[in-house]
Amino acid sequence: MYLLRLALASLNNRRFTALLTVFAIALSVCLLLAVERVRNETRASFASTISGTDLVVGARSGSVNLLLYSVFRIGNATNNIRWDSYQRFAEHPRVAWAIPISLGDSHRGYRVMGTSTAYFEHYRYGRKQPLLLAEGRAFESDPFEVVLGAEVASALGYKLDDSIVLAHGVARVSLVQHDDKPFRVVGVLQRTGTPVDRTLHISLAGMEALHVDWQNGMPARGAGRVDAEQARALDLQPQQITAVLLGLNSKIATFTLQREINQYRGEPLLAILPGVALQELWSLMGTAEKALFVVSLFVVLTGLIGMLTAILTSLNERRREMAILRSVGARPWHIAALLIIEAFGLALAGTLLGLALLYIGIAIAQSPLQSLYGLYLPLAWPSAYEWGLLGAILLAALLMGSVPAWRAYRQSLADGLSIRL
Amino acid sequence: MSRLLLALLLACAVSAHADDVRDLQWSELIPEGAPPPPPPMAMHDMSQLADALAAETGPAAAQQSPAAPVVEALDGQMVKLPGYIVPLDMTEEGRVIEFLLVPYFGACIHVPPPPSNQIVHATSELGVRVEALYEPFWIEGPLRVEHASSELAEAGYRMQAQKIYPYELQ
Repeated sequence: MYLLRLALASLNNRRFTALLTVFAIALSVCLLLAVERVRNETRASFASTISGTDLVVGARSGSVNLLLYSVFRIGNATNNIRWDSYQRFAEHPRVAWAIPISLGDSHRGYRVMGTSTAYFEHYRYGRKQPLLLAEGRAFESDPFEVVLGAEVASALGYKLDDSIVLAHGVARVSLVQHDDKPFRVVGVLQRTGTPVDRTLHISLAGMEALHVDWQNGMPARGAGRVDAEQARALDLQPQQITAVLLGLNSKIATFTLQREINQYRGEPLLAILPGVALQELWSLMGTAEKALFVVSLFVVLTGLIGMLTAILTSLNERRREMAILRSVGARPWHIAALLIIEAFGLALAGTLLGLALLYIGIAIAQSPLQSLYGLYLPLAWPSAYEWGLLGAILLAALLMGSVPAWRAYRQSLADGLSIRL
Repeated sequence: MSRLLLALLLACAVSAHADDVRDLQWSELIPEGAPPPPPPMAMHDMSQLADALAAETGPAAAQQSPAAPVVEALDGQMVKLPGYIVPLDMTEEGRVIEFLLVPYFGACIHVPPPPSNQIVHATSELGVRVEALYEPFWIEGPLRVEHASSELAEAGYRMQAQKIYPYELQ
């Protein structure tokens, strides 16, 4: 106990260097843990977004690209697919259910997705959890009804029966608004922790109605305009959609149907298995993740070496301190233990401060991260793996502490009280 | 002495258990009397590759027997089978809990996908972490044979995998 007190008192004597060392270690630990957190949570949020969907079908592009824009609303579609292709595969005998998806518009930075009621019925996320309505109902026959994701409703403060205007394109600030055709909020979905939270869902007819009077790529002017009432009376059968999610009767038929879709002669289509595309995405991200992890490991190492340097340089000026300790009865191993305790104490304080910094950082960044990137970082206890990392850092500090401890041990054996400094 | 006996007994039990699990080959999943696939056509002029592939793929639905015959006798047997994992469903931690096991890796687009009797639809409670799709795994568990009850349902093999471990070259 007195050893600990002595070590602390000695550190207190050099508090400025000690604080700097602790701070350097804290920053490096915080960086390491943050990289780990973000990596794990990105994976988890990707993995839990889609479940139970056997095939994703879209225009021919790349499998990762198709998965990103159809399911995660990242990036944009390369092309649409025709309605009759959708119908052909939706009515295919091997297909149990089909969810059409139509993308391209937005509302204040949140994507708008045209779909059918099959979406609320068959879409699954996490561990095969269905979408549930927090309030209201799904959209029905009226084309100008919208169902909001939880994040959209809470961030923009919308309630049932509010009227909102959708914008053309997917920019955060849009200059072209579909302001002649407002939508009415009829339902709000429960929070899922997936991109569904950041999506506004309208019917395919609504998506069609938005663009019914567009000519040559720009909204109609003057007499060409079709207002909401007139649009309701029109035939709003969509001609094209962006992607389709398919559920099959038998999973064993997945490859057969995938090949049939990929070889469809009607138009070039691409069918992907979401699990396989996700795996491909991870192997793409894996390299960058590993690089980040290695960099943050080296930062931790640098922090620890900084600590070692600080202790080693202090060793010479502390020779008299050691000698006095020896003269009042301390044994050489006491001196060694003193230095090991010092190194360990610095590392422990650094780790704890690093953890504190991490949690403060998460608490501050949580909501902007969620709304900007859809990444939810929970304020969870460190996982077993993270405890392991922290343990390894402390162990490394102990090992490093034994270097100055050994030197001090040697010196205290040799030095008398009459050292000349 | 008694401890030695116990150890011996245990060893016997373990080896007996190992005998129970049948080491299955993919070819054993095809019944004996099944009609052999048509012989592949030899092709030496690669300039005709596109034509040949187009002809082979033709109207896609007819290209293979989706409801390929299955070996009924395998139903309920404890087997272990090597293959590649095609993930279908995974947990938040990224562990694959539902997958198709196939005898070769990757969707080779030059030939049709494997027939339904060369695919095992497996589920696993614990799941398996798949780092790369091209890594083969052993899966071990009771095999179930599903019958084609109707036009729509596929006949095929299912397994509740009890053990999944990486395949190593001997």
